[in-house]
Amino acid sequence: MIRYLARRIIHGALLLLGVSILMFVLLQAARGEYLSDLKLNAQISPETLAGLRSQYGLDQPLPVRYWKWIKSSARGDFGYSFAYNTAASTLLWPRARNTLLLTVPAVLISWLIALPLGVLAAGSRNGWVDRVFSFGTSTLLALPDVLIALMALLIALKSGLFPVGGMTSVAAHDQSWWAWLGDVAWHMILPIAALVIGLLTMVLRHVRTSVREVLESTYMRAAEGHGLPRMKLLFRYALPAAANPLISLFGLSVALLLSVSLLIEIVMSWPGMGPLLLESILSRDLFVVIGAVMLSTVFLLLGNLLADILLYAFDPRIRRQA
Amino acid sequence: MSFLSVGSGFQRKLFKLSWAIWILVAIHVTVILAGFIAPYDYQTQDRLHPYAPPTRLHFVDCAGKFHLRPFVYVTKPADGSLTEYTQDCAQAAPIQFFLRGDGYTFLGVFKSNLHLFGVGAPANLFVLGTDGFGRDQLSRLLYGGQVSLFAGFVAAAISVIAGLFFGGIAGLYGGRIDDIAMRFAEVFITVPWFYLLIAVRAFLPLEISPVAAFLLVVAVIGVVGWGRPARLARGVILSARERNFVLAARGFGASNAYLLRRHLMPLTFRVLLTQMTVLMPQFILAEVLLSFLGLGIGEPFPSWGNMLASAQQYHVLVSYWWMLLPGLAPIPVFLAYHSLAETLQERVKSNI
Amino acid sequence: MISGNLGLPKTEPLFRVSGFSVEYDAAGGDVVSALRGVDLEIAQGKTLGVLGESGSGKSSLALALMRLLPRNARIAAGKIQHQGRNIAEFTSKQLREMRGAEVALISQEPALALNPVLALGKQMVDVLKAHTALSRDQLSVRSLEMLREVGFEDPERIMRAYPHQLSGGQRQRVAIAQALVCRPQLLIADEPLSSLDLVTQAEIVELLQRLKRDLNLAMLFITHHAGVLASLADHVLVMREGEVMAQGSLDALQRSADPYLQGLLSPERNLVEAAKAAGPNAAARTLLQVRGLGKKFVQQHMLSRRKFVVQSLDGINLELHEGGTVAVLGRSGSGKSTLARCIAGFETPDAGEILFGAAKRRPPRLVQMIFQDAATSLNPRFTARQIVAEPLEIARWKTEIERTARALELMEEVGLDSDSASRLAGEFSGGQRQRLALARALAAEPKLLILDEAFSGLDLPLQAQMVRLLMELQSRHGLTYLYISHDLNFIQPWAQEVVVMEAGKIVERVAPSQLAQSRHPATRALLAASERLRVPGREVTA
Repeated sequence: MIRYLARRIIHGALLLLGVSILMFVLLQAARGEYLSDLKLNAQISPETLAGLRSQYGLDQPLPVRYWKWIKSSARGDFGYSFAYNTAASTLLWPRARNTLLLTVPAVLISWLIALPLGVLAAGSRNGWVDRVFSFGTSTLLALPDVLIALMALLIALKSGLFPVGGMTSVAAHDQSWWAWLGDVAWHMILPIAALVIGLLTMVLRHVRTSVREVLESTYMRAAEGHGLPRMKLLFRYALPAAANPLISLFGLSVALLLSVSLLIEIVMSWPGMGPLLLESILSRDLFVVIGAVMLSTVFLLLGNLLADILLYAFDPRIRRQA
Repeated sequence: MSFLSVGSGFQRKLFKLSWAIWILVAIHVTVILAGFIAPYDYQTQDRLHPYAPPTRLHFVDCAGKFHLRPFVYVTKPADGSLTEYTQDCAQAAPIQFFLRGDGYTFLGVFKSNLHLFGVGAPANLFVLGTDGFGRDQLSRLLYGGQVSLFAGFVAAAISVIAGLFFGGIAGLYGGRIDDIAMRFAEVFITVPWFYLLIAVRAFLPLEISPVAAFLLVVAVIGVVGWGRPARLARGVILSARERNFVLAARGFGASNAYLLRRHLMPLTFRVLLTQMTVLMPQFILAEVLLSFLGLGIGEPFPSWGNMLASAQQYHVLVSYWWMLLPGLAPIPVFLAYHSLAETLQERVKSNI
Repeated sequence: MISGNLGLPKTEPLFRVSGFSVEYDAAGGDVVSALRGVDLEIAQGKTLGVLGESGSGKSSLALALMRLLPRNARIAAGKIQHQGRNIAEFTSKQLREMRGAEVALISQEPALALNPVLALGKQMVDVLKAHTALSRDQLSVRSLEMLREVGFEDPERIMRAYPHQLSGGQRQRVAIAQALVCRPQLLIADEPLSSLDLVTQAEIVELLQRLKRDLNLAMLFITHHAGVLASLADHVLVMREGEVMAQGSLDALQRSADPYLQGLLSPERNLVEAAKAAGPNAAARTLLQVRGLGKKFVQQHMLSRRKFVVQSLDGINLELHEGGTVAVLGRSGSGKSTLARCIAGFETPDAGEILFGAAKRRPPRLVQMIFQDAATSLNPRFTARQIVAEPLEIARWKTEIERTARALELMEEVGLDSDSASRLAGEFSGGQRQRLALARALAAEPKLLILDEAFSGLDLPLQAQMVRLLMELQSRHGLTYLYISHDLNFIQPWAQEVVVMEAGKIVERVAPSQLAQSRHPATRALLAASERLRVPGREVTA
């Protein structure tokens, strides 16, 4: 088990290294950077500019800058934010926390709904249930994420039942801790609902397909031939056997959710990594961009690691390989 | 028993395949003919009609008289308001077909000013309302479709061709080359897709001409997405190389070029063509999202994404529902592509 | 609940099938009829053998008895009565009570019949749980007992194991144990041997015989292999295209003059004449020599430095004469397929050499191979004509028109209708596909054909037809065969030499007629197994 996990973690670390190198190669290709906008500012002299450049190490070759960034990341700084004049991590950490505040519940809710529903849909022998399911999920799947986000916003604006955007109400600071928590939870409902809609259908369809495939297998027919009760067949025999592709899907669903969350955060002004990323792109604050990409990759890899652990627990064939 | 595996829903699937293809053909033809079908040019502004709601079509006039031919009344801003409009019962304009209007270029070659339908001045026919500049939403939706659909198509083609090239080389040569190519692909696959997309876009210049922006966006989407098709192509070639019929052909003295041409490529093409139908909706959406965030195609060119951008303002979202329509436009396209992809995937699966 | 064998009047059979017909809705709205007016009875404690080729509807019968037919199947006529009650009218609760407790099913693929992710013990216990109200301890005691009964000496270990940790034969034993743990009155065995090797087959047959006796079990045994029924069945039903074409004891059936029945019951008989026509040919020139051939496979785990060396071939010497047939026998994993692939040039040996006449270089197209799995050896996108003409196309032989003419000629030669030349590979049946592969190999005009378990996916009568065809081709074209197999079928009239392999080495070389006197344990195991599965009284002599 430990060797298996160690192998997965080393693999993930190597991937992160690869992503960071890719980012720096792209950075080199980038023509604009934060200071180049300052060039247009007549009040800043070329000498000051050159001074700033060497202070930030921008005049050094790529490998040196990369090495410096690695050292800074090892300290937990992830480079420097030019726009805020601080370590990139001080911007990133609170935003990352807020993003997780949305994505973790959304992943859990989606899967908790999709698993039983998908298994039941797979087991249904009713043609009408099938048709309604197919029609409903494919329509939901075709909804662009932007539209879902805008609709959520529209609901908040029109109904007045939900707060419009943000994470806390303006007056929230004066309140007690409990009230603050309730306030945040209140703000979370709509973004999470939008995320769940974006993710649920995909998971639901995959669960149904995978379980259907298993249900057609010889061993399921054999189990049915042994007279096992139907619910036991579906949930205790078919679901574990379908676990392998579904657990891989779990990793993928985390990736998808991070992407959708980026958009939802921007539209609903949730102070997560999404708005920060957009803002730093527009202000050419490139270390923050790199930091955000790296952090999102870390989350994704953590999701995959969780999937690997689940796979190890569920599939005896994996256990033998490890 | 082989007839069991054929499945009973075959005819239904064939039907599904055909409606998806017809919808796609219809949408693409409509969009290509945007100049002719749209009543206005995408740039034409009517300063007197910002955020005008969809123009009402009448059969019965103010006097209660019925007309066989539908008509519209001339509208003008209500007193003291910029965004509410009143109808002038005195000035009616019937719907006309094949009338002359704004000039356009069809397929980049033919110049024309013939439009399928419209109304004569001073009346306006805004079927889906106007945006803040008083530009006709329907016309911009059609022109925007050109941008969004074409972007998705070109980006998917770039991805698939790059995937075919790198995945093919990895699968054919194997060993070290395979290792390196696939590790490289894995880096692209691992990063959350939209983060990578935005980041790569971030490193490239932001203030550029709309045409350059279009090409850039298409290239970025295509390049960021090459990992999956590459992995797929490699897998297909790798497994096909070990197939008995390929071994048998080698036993007949077949050259590598022959194997590639007769056995490996046709198989890979089928898989990648299917992959293309999976990627296309994804990449259309990518363009929509980038343009929505202001990182894609910019004014004055319309795209489904940048048209939707104004709906981020609360007052627009609440007051002018027709500004959300560009978000609905991709739905039939996506539905058709999803259905097509599903059917093709099943066929590839059962045929490999 | 477990119902004993008590309280039933002697006249009422366990199952009575009357006028039963099943249809399948196939592609394009077609209706395929799988069973037509089948009548049969299964009595307490008796074994009914169902013999037929694949596609004769025998598996549909097995599924119908348990009401497990797939969704696109329809009962067109007739009914099935279980102890006097029509099973079509059973509620799902009644069905559950019947399945597993009174009737149990074991199927073709033991590897596929067990859930791959659940421990075997759990799968056993769940069956008991579904039908009894036993306590936790009793459940495991009963399961262990049952596993011991099917021949496991350490049932505790089996209970903890997962299917992938067992061999094919062990998995089939577990499947049998699982089926019988609730002591059903009837066991339906649907081709339970077809994916096992010869020695394991014999072991399973012996086990079933013992269980039948000990448990007073009724059995419905479905197979295409008449030999298996000889030691098991009280009564045999022969099925053809969904209908019962004959029935009676195996002895009575053997006396029938019907050629189809003869082909089904003793497929080897037809070969004797063909063998005589071919005549002995062993004095011919040497075609190919294998000297000291060795091949190792190295497996290495990711991130671990340990390497595992599997010695797949070790010091193999072999000589093939023109116009002769050499049979290579061995259990799975003995290295016989690796030998075939080395000779065919698909693997490079690590040691030794292969000489073609005097030349060391491989003459092009001299050696051709027919693969085990006909489905994967033909490109599914090719038509029959394209498949057969492929070697000609690669060799740039004459013009397109002449190539087509030659391809059609070859199809006729292997017994395929040249009218079907424009059909795709997937539209042919298994036997026809193997013929296509043969025609394609012949197009390359080889001297040596390697048959790598080429018939193991086919029914016995079909195998016999293929062997007969091969013998005719041999005498017509002077072909040499290297026949690789795990069983002894057809070796007697066909091969001049038998080579037995074990663990990468040749352990015995013997003339087929001397095979029976062999002393080597590997050969003896194959012989014993084959003896058990043979139809007695009809020995075939060359």
